[in-house]
Amino acid sequence: MSGDENPAAVPKPVEDVQGDARWISQHTRFSQECKDAEPDVLFIGDSMVQLMQQYDIWREYFSPLHALNFGIGGDTTCNVLWRLQNGELENIRPKVVVLWVGTNNHEHTAEQVAGGVMAIAQLLATRLPKAKIIVLGLLPRGERPNPLREKNTNVNSFLRSWLPRIPQALFLDVSAELVHSDGTISIQQMFDFLHLTSSGYRIIAKPLYDLLLQILEETPEERRASLV
Amino acid sequence: MSVEETNPAATPTPCGDIHGDGRWMSMHERFVSDGKGKEPEVVFVGDSLIQLMHQFGIWRQLFSPLHSLNFGIGGDATQHVLWRLSNGELDNISPKVMVLWVGTNNHGHTAEQISGGIMAIVQVIKNKLPQAHTLVLGLLPRGKMPNPLRERNASVNKLVQEALSSLPYASFLNVDPGFVHSNGSISHQDMYDYLHLTPKGYQAVCEPLHEHIKSLLEKPGEH
Ligand SMILES: [Ca+2]
Repeated sequence: MSGDENPAAVPKPVEDVQGDARWISQHTRFSQECKDAEPDVLFIGDSMVQLMQQYDIWREYFSPLHALNFGIGGDTTCNVLWRLQNGELENIRPKVVVLWVGTNNHEHTAEQVAGGVMAIAQLLATRLPKAKIIVLGLLPRGERPNPLREKNTNVNSFLRSWLPRIPQALFLDVSAELVHSDGTISIQQMFDFLHLTSSGYRIIAKPLYDLLLQILEETPEERRASLV
Repeated sequence: MSVEETNPAATPTPCGDIHGDGRWMSMHERFVSDGKGKEPEVVFVGDSLIQLMHQFGIWRQLFSPLHSLNFGIGGDATQHVLWRLSNGELDNISPKVMVLWVGTNNHGHTAEQISGGIMAIVQVIKNKLPQAHTLVLGLLPRGKMPNPLRERNASVNKLVQEALSSLPYASFLNVDPGFVHSNGSISHQDMYDYLHLTPKGYQAVCEPLHEHIKSLLEKPGEH
């Protein structure tokens, strides 16, 4: 599926309908941060990425890895694509990018959403050819089974089969751990049946951290250079 | 036709399930059943600024010990909170203090309409819980730089403060510790997206709020 036919793969800024310019202010700040910081890990995505930074797990697990957080609440694949093409990858060379976006693409089908995520991963692979890309699977949402859960599951299935086309991309999916045997999602893990609580984030933080450590330790050329 | 009937911000409205995952109604039902069996002294109600407060350490540190419940839903405007409180969330509880923080999401409404919506909520609380004192928190500034929504929120505060001054059972509290710097900007250290508070931002808001709620709880007969 090419970007021309898939609306979820078309770069688009968020229109400032509310009139306080918060979205562009955040994008401008992220682009600015690229000039000073030298992150090893870049997190990019929607509120699932953004809120992570407000909890203790960020300081426990991810800050020590020299991570930057470019999450904006409400963002779709189109918005992330636009941000990455307009300044948020300038001047930085992260070793790993963590990408988590797609649950807000309400106007798009599962196949289109997965295509949008693929387009972002492809852009990252082109711009940062030496970096690994970890794509996080979309989480289930809603207290009980509903069409959006099925859609997110389908997005994950497409990603599982398509991501191997990008050699440096990996897929990490913890979605199954959030649904109880009776089909419900607990408010203890998702406070509004979408966003994670502090204990909900712990479910994803540990496997993600282990994967990041593994990747960061596998930087052979730099290791060798530092030994010489 | 009365003012309430023509004001969309003061017309009880359930949030439509436009995304199809039923989350808003799930949360409302959760809050209704949360009231049963618990005997909260303080109930916080409002939008994401109330809801997120519950997710950080400050809640357990300052408000859990006061026996508080949190009925915050992200994105709610005054008409949504009005609907929730008119449809079960106040039916099984008798708190001494209600903390109300809502209005910044009333997009498309004027300051007068939003103020009218807030006052309608205060009235519903008065009708359902005649013994409770309602503490209305002032809307915070938003956006990195000065913008029309900051002005609108400031106008809402002025109107609400005025309207509440004559009511013995409700009061207004400005909880802005000075988030706007001298150059007009708001820092992402206080509001990570120039709207929602960081743990540090919450601390600056919640410490004086906690003192204020404690003094209301200690004043029997004046509720
Ligand atoms: Ca008063």
